[in-house]
Amino acid sequence: MRRRVVITGIGSITPLGHSPEATFEAALRGECGVDYTTRFDARAFPTQISAEVKGFRLDDWLPNAAEYVKAGENTKFALVAAQQALRDAGLLQTAGVDRTRFGVYLGSGEGAEDFYSLIDSIGRAADANGFRADAGQFCRAAKDLFDPRREAEFEMHTTAGHLAEEFELLGPNFTCLTACAASAQAIGEATEFIRHDDADLILAGGAHSMIHPLGVTGFNRLTALSTRNAEPKRASRPFDLDRDGFVLGEGAGMVILEELEHAKKRGARIYAELTGYGTTGDAYRMTDPHPEGRGAVKAMRDALKDARLAPDDIGYINAHGTSTAANDECETAAIKGAFGEKAYKIPVSSSKSMLGHLIAAGGAVELILSIQAMLRGVLPPTINYETPDPKCDLDYVPNVAREKAGIRNVLSNSFGFGGQNITLIASRF
Amino acid sequence: MSAPHRRAVFTSLGAITPIGDGPAFRDNLRAGTVGIRTIQAFDASALPCRIAGEFPQPFDAKKYIPASNKDGRKSLKNMAKTVQMGLCAAQLAMDAGGPKPGSMDPFRFGIEIGCVMVASELDDLAGAAKHTITETSRVIDMAKWGHEGLEKITPLWMLKYLPNMPACHVSIFFDAQGPNNTITGGDVASTLALGEAFRLLQRDAADYFLVGGTDSKINPLSFTRNNLFVPFTRNNAAPATAVRPFDRDRDGVAAGEAAVIFGLEELSHATKRGATILAELAGFASGFDRGKRGPVLAGVIRNALKDAGIGPADVDHVNANAGGSIALDAFEARAIHEVFGKSVPVFALKGQTGNAGAASGALELAATVLSLHHGELPGTQNCTDVGTECPVTVHVGAPRPVAKPYAVKINYTDMGQCAVAVVKRWQD
Repeated sequence: MRRRVVITGIGSITPLGHSPEATFEAALRGECGVDYTTRFDARAFPTQISAEVKGFRLDDWLPNAAEYVKAGENTKFALVAAQQALRDAGLLQTAGVDRTRFGVYLGSGEGAEDFYSLIDSIGRAADANGFRADAGQFCRAAKDLFDPRREAEFEMHTTAGHLAEEFELLGPNFTCLTACAASAQAIGEATEFIRHDDADLILAGGAHSMIHPLGVTGFNRLTALSTRNAEPKRASRPFDLDRDGFVLGEGAGMVILEELEHAKKRGARIYAELTGYGTTGDAYRMTDPHPEGRGAVKAMRDALKDARLAPDDIGYINAHGTSTAANDECETAAIKGAFGEKAYKIPVSSSKSMLGHLIAAGGAVELILSIQAMLRGVLPPTINYETPDPKCDLDYVPNVAREKAGIRNVLSNSFGFGGQNITLIASRF
Repeated sequence: MSAPHRRAVFTSLGAITPIGDGPAFRDNLRAGTVGIRTIQAFDASALPCRIAGEFPQPFDAKKYIPASNKDGRKSLKNMAKTVQMGLCAAQLAMDAGGPKPGSMDPFRFGIEIGCVMVASELDDLAGAAKHTITETSRVIDMAKWGHEGLEKITPLWMLKYLPNMPACHVSIFFDAQGPNNTITGGDVASTLALGEAFRLLQRDAADYFLVGGTDSKINPLSFTRNNLFVPFTRNNAAPATAVRPFDRDRDGVAAGEAAVIFGLEELSHATKRGATILAELAGFASGFDRGKRGPVLAGVIRNALKDAGIGPADVDHVNANAGGSIALDAFEARAIHEVFGKSVPVFALKGQTGNAGAASGALELAATVLSLHHGELPGTQNCTDVGTECPVTVHVGAPRPVAKPYAVKINYTDMGQCAVAVVKRWQD
């Protein structure tokens, strides 16, 4: 019999709150975390709004916060979400648990891009027309402008490394980045590592912030972001006919994955069991999801099979639901492809209507919300759902939270730019 | 640990490296050719370290992608060099013995690639930057950036550089619809990717993987950034002998570039289609050595041996991560010594190639896979006198015959993430 994996701790820092509880309560109230961007001067950008984490200071949480002044926002969010999850699981104290059997698996992004030094260095090296930049001149300028410590923190393995250092987690230490699917994929693969006996415990989840000038520039050039600048709170509107793109969010979500017997032996509180994981690639296009959601259908079916569940057993779906024209239509088609007629009977909502899109961190934060919904018997809504789109005809839990008792299993989807499709299923234990 | 019923074998290799690609790679490996030189790709003269492992000829993706693949060739323009490199190494691996197009269930064909943040080409941002900085005060004018600068950046700019794009394009090229992950774990990324693919094959989530890594630090932005925080060698005057793994006189590492992709396949799937088997992937383990002291890495090596069901006495050689770092070579040597004493020959490739970052694990593993397949291990370059703080026996000089069936590959990062793969010589 395979080893079973349960969730024994949760933590999050999101645009809706500084803990899983605060985030969930705000989501049930239908609050929206989107507002005008303050992290940098975005007033001239096509998109001037984002869902920032508000009022967050690392030194409110960590006594040694000063060590991380040069770290990116992603690492700061990760440290606190991890601390919460570890404390929640009773694992902050290192005694009694073999730390070499305790790993980290993050779906996590880059650190703080030093936009100003980078653009200054390139600008100095650029020719009169701005067609080319001279490499020699660039190197000469950049080596003095860049801050060495900040550049070191830009590397993607540093976040998971800091968590391992800070909390003495000496087991497998992985970081993946499959765009918007990353932290869900991290949780799925971490679950498999525990099942395979590579570890007993893994701190898994994600952290990301792309609310920086180059992040917004990149997504604006792709025309992926909402430009509903006049109405920030109404900008993220998954499945609504008038959706015009996603809203960037930021934050971190972490869960403690633990082998069942290990959790029982130490009397840990069990939130849920991670029963199903499906992972596929679209192999279709760089930017667009497959129109029928070919890979997404397979990911959902594989997750059901992995969990040994039938479509009827799923009580709630937390959609990827980005609020882009393509995603929401294709995801709707994919849910119908995987669930058939039953799709119409399962409530589906997108937390991104309130949280914005946390990119690599999205999947973890949304899985936590799904588990909270199952345990509390209340489903977070899809807010800003005003005009139905004929191509999106499922029950999206429009605008107000809904009570639903007796949910046994919840399913959460995460799909990445580049075609990665991840489905996770959590079950009541 | 329960014995895995499904076994994984290497059935092809695609390598683009500072010591050549295709068959030239093996010849130069054996000959001890060094691919580290003064950087030719751009003017790095302003930087403290100006040498690196660099491709012998400027990289040209069209060399690898057949002209008949018109859409594929067209798509190259939306890829940064690092992304193209990964794709081209995958093409080489497929050409060298991958499954025939259409012969596989696409959902059983997975991709696992180690990659990290890919640096923007300067020219892509030159127009925007030029129009944004104020010549006199050097202030970045965000209004100008938003109104005028942004428009000067190519619409698909971001997608040229995302680390999961090699895996994305490889999946599109070869219709691989199975599990698709990109491990961004720094210098250990491709070894972690290999380990994850191994577990996916063992658990029956796929039958075939293209797995490996792609990375290049040989561009102005990456190389400048790395010069600020990586302990690079200062031996700019003698690139061919600058990187000295485990040597008493080592003074730092060199950057590098490479893309190395393996076909990794479930054994019965490989034999059924008559694939040539190069070696077996027999064991894997990973961990985090806080403070880079040695005991955790030693434990990871032991776990990998255990995963393979063997002991230290079964090991022909250890293929080390050592890249000439004063601190890290000693750390690794202590860990190797803790498990093997000084009884097992240790080989290190970085003296020839530099550190290919996210591709380094796959690149160095290729040396071991080829060694086991051809029955001889090349000598480590530039290790003249082993430092006393490195208690290991380094294999130098002429190639030695492979005497035992297993080899151990070690990788780690500057922070302490480590991974170990155990590879077995293939015998029917």
